Amino acid sequence: MTLKFKRASSSSRPWRASHILGALLALATPAFAVLGCHQPAGASPGITIEESIAPQPVRTAEETISIRLADPAHQPVTGARIQVEGDMDHPGMAPLFADAHEVAPGRYTAPLHFTMPGDWVVLLHITLAGGQRIERQDPVRGVQPN
Amino acid sequence: MTTPSAAPSPPAQRERLSADDEFDAAPPFDLLAFPVIGPLLRWRHSRTLLQIPLFAISVVMIVEGFFGPTLSPKNPATVLTWVHFRGALVLAILLAGNLFCLACPFMLVRNGMRRWVHPRFTWPRALRNKWIPVALFVLILFCYELFGLWSSPWLTAWVIVGYFAAVLIIDGLFTHAAFCKYVCPIGQFNFIAAAVSPLEVSVREPEVCLDCGTKDCIRGRRQHPSTLVVLQRGCELALFQPAKFGNMDCTFCLDCVHACPHDNVGILSRLPAGELMSDPQRSGIGRFSRRYDIAALAVVFCFGALMNAFGMVSPVYTVESWLKRTFHFHSQAGALGILFAAVIVIEPAVLLGLAALLTRAWGGVKRSWLAIAVRYAYALSPLGFGMWLAHYGYHFFTGLYTIVPVTQNLFAAMGWPILGEPRWTLVGLPKTVVEPLEFGFLLLGLFGSLLVAWRLAQDDSENRPLRAFIPWGTLCALLFLCCVWLIMQPMDMRATLGAG
Repeated sequence: MTLKFKRASSSSRPWRASHILGALLALATPAFAVLGCHQPAGASPGITIEESIAPQPVRTAEETISIRLADPAHQPVTGARIQVEGDMDHPGMAPLFADAHEVAPGRYTAPLHFTMPGDWVVLLHITLAGGQRIERQDPVRGVQPN
Repeated sequence: MTTPSAAPSPPAQRERLSADDEFDAAPPFDLLAFPVIGPLLRWRHSRTLLQIPLFAISVVMIVEGFFGPTLSPKNPATVLTWVHFRGALVLAILLAGNLFCLACPFMLVRNGMRRWVHPRFTWPRALRNKWIPVALFVLILFCYELFGLWSSPWLTAWVIVGYFAAVLIIDGLFTHAAFCKYVCPIGQFNFIAAAVSPLEVSVREPEVCLDCGTKDCIRGRRQHPSTLVVLQRGCELALFQPAKFGNMDCTFCLDCVHACPHDNVGILSRLPAGELMSDPQRSGIGRFSRRYDIAALAVVFCFGALMNAFGMVSPVYTVESWLKRTFHFHSQAGALGILFAAVIVIEPAVLLGLAALLTRAWGGVKRSWLAIAVRYAYALSPLGFGMWLAHYGYHFFTGLYTIVPVTQNLFAAMGWPILGEPRWTLVGLPKTVVEPLEFGFLLLGLFGSLLVAWRLAQDDSENRPLRAFIPWGTLCALLFLCCVWLIMQPMDMRATLGAG
């Protein structure tokens, strides 16, 4: 015996709706896949950013983040404000923040105390003297326990 | 294995009545009689009302997962999935019941689809068991570790999309709630976890059901008894209320509540884990002791909790490095596969087999060792749930407020910063508060497991219950110590497993 539902039996355009829904899904899925792969990490106005962490290997202790900024003519970029942010790549963890200081023309350093072993991501929030803002994101893999 | 029957039998009803009498001396609390919540849940569209917000959040998670911030802690898809959803789910099960299935957004889409698409097939008889969802459950745990799902909004969004697609395909082809009952790994997690819930959808007065001639709770309420037009569907998971026992396979959809013409179905309080202490014939399921697949689910539920937590602490990388060197693996999948096989298959097989043999020898239990192992496997569920609670509760509480800056950032990114600048320093409760909670959850789980094992031992060996109990009590204590050791380890979360 087959049971029928009242609402369902009253529809006269079932195939159209389902086909439209299916077509939308079929079109949307590859679009998500392609677009989702290409996230812009932040526009850089021709500025070269070199970043390093010491000492190595990175441990759950105070590390020094060194940043070098240079313009397209390879001249140091001075007077920038840089905020360094450390995030674990697992959500729900406390982020770290530190302000970088310019120790030489175009060279900046910031202390960052990694609080937990594991994979981290270091974000640089850079504001140039002219007010332009640059975002940079670098992974720091496998921070080891101290 | 026998096919579960939805039809009740008088012995099953008597067994249910006697079990209820044993555990519920006082009249149970009925959530449906509670002010505001009761009338809301009784409303025919209450489930839809609860599903709509979760569906809207799911859509946001998918869109943000694909197009939002690439950094996991700043993306709603990863924050909501791996911090808030998992924690809220286990806490809701602990405090009330299977509320996620009640508000399941996948079912909203599926119900919408079924207005136009009418499934033509019945789920194959050979697959009417839990082996597929058990395998999917293990697969999800494996992929979670292998691909570091927590660190990828993009993959997290794909998991959600995949779930919606699977629901639409399976329930578009097969009748009733085939996906919920025979496929959904989240659902099976909820079903086995809800064995320790304090609430159960159950009949208020069993005697009323004895006189019921229409059985609307399972057949659905019809326009007229002689017609085939159903106004309110009955249970799609083949749970016939008078013979239903426990929360297994119950999605809290409340279809039976709405269908019952006698208003005789409620959401009643009961002894948490009490359903594991006896082995009655259960509607739509049969006896637990004969369901090897559900026993396997209970085992995976318990040992999977250990494995999932083990994947987040420092020693796992030492073990994986050793496995890679020893077996000359070049990829991470091989080492992780061996680790999973050891923790989820070999370890439980050895421990449960040994405990069953000792129970048979010492306790004088007249069953095969496999039958004993299956029977007592369910006793591990409360401890497993305690570990899930401790693990997911840790992330939930320590990251409780992270949804605030993520939401602020979402609105700001849309060019509508009405919630202000994101306050990324908002995180959650301090570890000094959360860690005692973790121990409390584990102790609660241990207590539940010991109680269940003791009651089963009493039933199995009237003369020597202590001897029958000791192997299982020892096993529970050993697993508890493993859990404690795990939560005391320094957390070490690496999406790049090869780094170790």
